[in-house]
Amino acid sequence: MIQNDQLKHIFAKALLTRLFEARLIKLTAEGFLPPLLHPGAGQEVAQIAALSALNDDDPLLYSHRGVGYMVARGTSLSAMIADMAGRAGGTNNGKGGIMHVVDVPNAVYGESGTLGGGLVLSVGMGMALKRRRSDQVVIHFFGDGASNRGTFHEALNWAAVQKLPCIYVCENNGWAVSVPTSVSTAVENIADRAAGYGIPGEVVDGADPNAVMAAISDAARRARAGEGPSLIEIKAIRLLGHYAADPQDYRADAATVKERDPLVTLRQRVIDLGLLSEAEIDAMTADYEAQVEQAVETVKAAPLIDADQAFADLYA
Amino acid sequence: MMRTINYGQAINEALAEEMARDKDVILYGLDVAAWGGIFNITKGLLDRFGPERVFDSPISESAMVGAGVGAAIMGLRPVVELQYADFILVAGDEIFFKAGLWRYMHGGAFKVPLVVRLPSGATGAGPEHSTCPEAYIMHSPGLLCAVPSTAADAKALLKEAIRLDNPVMFFEHRRLYQKRDAIPEGDVTLPFGKGIIRREGRHVTVVAWQYMLSRALKAAEILETEGIEIEIFDPRTLSPFDSETLIESVRKTGACLVVEEGYRRLGVGAEIGAMLMEQAFGYLDRPFRRLAIPDVPVASVKPLVDRVLPSVEDICATCRELAA
Repeated sequence: MIQNDQLKHIFAKALLTRLFEARLIKLTAEGFLPPLLHPGAGQEVAQIAALSALNDDDPLLYSHRGVGYMVARGTSLSAMIADMAGRAGGTNNGKGGIMHVVDVPNAVYGESGTLGGGLVLSVGMGMALKRRRSDQVVIHFFGDGASNRGTFHEALNWAAVQKLPCIYVCENNGWAVSVPTSVSTAVENIADRAAGYGIPGEVVDGADPNAVMAAISDAARRARAGEGPSLIEIKAIRLLGHYAADPQDYRADAATVKERDPLVTLRQRVIDLGLLSEAEIDAMTADYEAQVEQAVETVKAAPLIDADQAFADLYA
Repeated sequence: MMRTINYGQAINEALAEEMARDKDVILYGLDVAAWGGIFNITKGLLDRFGPERVFDSPISESAMVGAGVGAAIMGLRPVVELQYADFILVAGDEIFFKAGLWRYMHGGAFKVPLVVRLPSGATGAGPEHSTCPEAYIMHSPGLLCAVPSTAADAKALLKEAIRLDNPVMFFEHRRLYQKRDAIPEGDVTLPFGKGIIRREGRHVTVVAWQYMLSRALKAAEILETEGIEIEIFDPRTLSPFDSETLIESVRKTGACLVVEEGYRRLGVGAEIGAMLMEQAFGYLDRPFRRLAIPDVPVASVKPLVDRVLPSVEDICATCRELAA
């Protein structure tokens, strides 16, 4: 059973993520940032709950949708804005933008621009941990669309046959850009595919942090015990478009999706449990907005990235 | 008296010595462990280093190379055998984007000390198992490309490749595996980006490596009887490429022919020719020439393969034109 302080922590990080991302979207509308942001609104609660079930040094490969993973790990907000803005002070020196935020001290190992491309890297990361007799596990988030890549099959088969300490987390939000899962995917549940690799597969509700934490905790325990990988499918909700300025003309659920916002559900829950009052949440909101604003100001005051960085970082 | 071993044994020795030197070196691929490799290159390594460090993988080229990148960024030094160089295209995302770009796009946060061993060349195995795709690697930032031609170079360059912190695409020509050469004793490595003049001459500079180098050397013997002295430059690595030594040679001879086993259009020779036009135009007093596979697939049976591979006679004929 999830502890009350964990629930508060998940809510706080999810709230910060939502506010931060909303500010980024506003900055794209203002033209300060390019619109190449894939909002994770609706998916933060599950992302943060999943990472709360692990240690902060468990290597993370994340999905492109949202910044909740990095907020969970404590990556600097201003560094992430700088990565988007092409300013000095970012994490990848202007090379990868918001898509390739990296933070090795916090075990954030980056993201593949080709979706599903990180799955095969996670195999090697798991190999390295196993060879070192490490107690760490690799967690890799990806979307339902990416689960149709060949890399998904190759990685899960390999990780399973070598019993690698990897946790595969599919955030199934029902959409691959504009293509609904029903059009792209033959199975109802991505987790059902785990049977094809002889590993545990579990479906969890992304609006329920208890369920997410429990599934990831079980998967981590198995991985640390040498029992190999697991596939956890989070039934997720994509509240916004594929990218910041996406008009979403293709969406049939546009009118109703907001009623299912997991952050609203969690907010009510922490209030009902007496963990936080409305007034405390208002104060938290004001505090986080100030933190975000401070990060924005830091980036606006930073110089543009030196153009000669185009030539740096290629070879070691 | 120098020891003589073949090119395949040289690669085996390089692997064994580097695995003995550094416990982070691991070796995997299809058939490399229990069998010792379909070309017998990795024989004995499983017995010596155990299944944690030498293992057979699934036929999953994307995962073979991708896992190599993942293991490398976590501090291991993986050596992956892809069995056929053609398969770089099966693992295209992993070779060109992940191995080549993962460090760059994450702002230099990682090193990628990965070696991908790529047996290459036309041996009658059909169009998808016969090519020398070095040009793809040269075209792609972030990757190093080694093309050793002798046993000594194969050993020294592979040892260097394993120690480098950058991803190396290591081409091993299958027709050279049995070729014997003298090899120096001791822990010898060769720097990348430093080619060698294999034979001195004054009339034409011929650039050739791996199997085409042996044909160029045969051509040189024939041409010598006719009074034509060709200078043969073996680049050893194509990325980086030792343009300095080549330009120095062209300055002496005034002519250059590239002989390659890859496709002609936008091939390695095209790049070398363009480089010479930009940097050594004043030294060329005859047109730059190249011999390559004439932009058709490399077929299965010997008559068709021999028809498209640059021959000793092709090299002789082109050099005669250039020397005339």
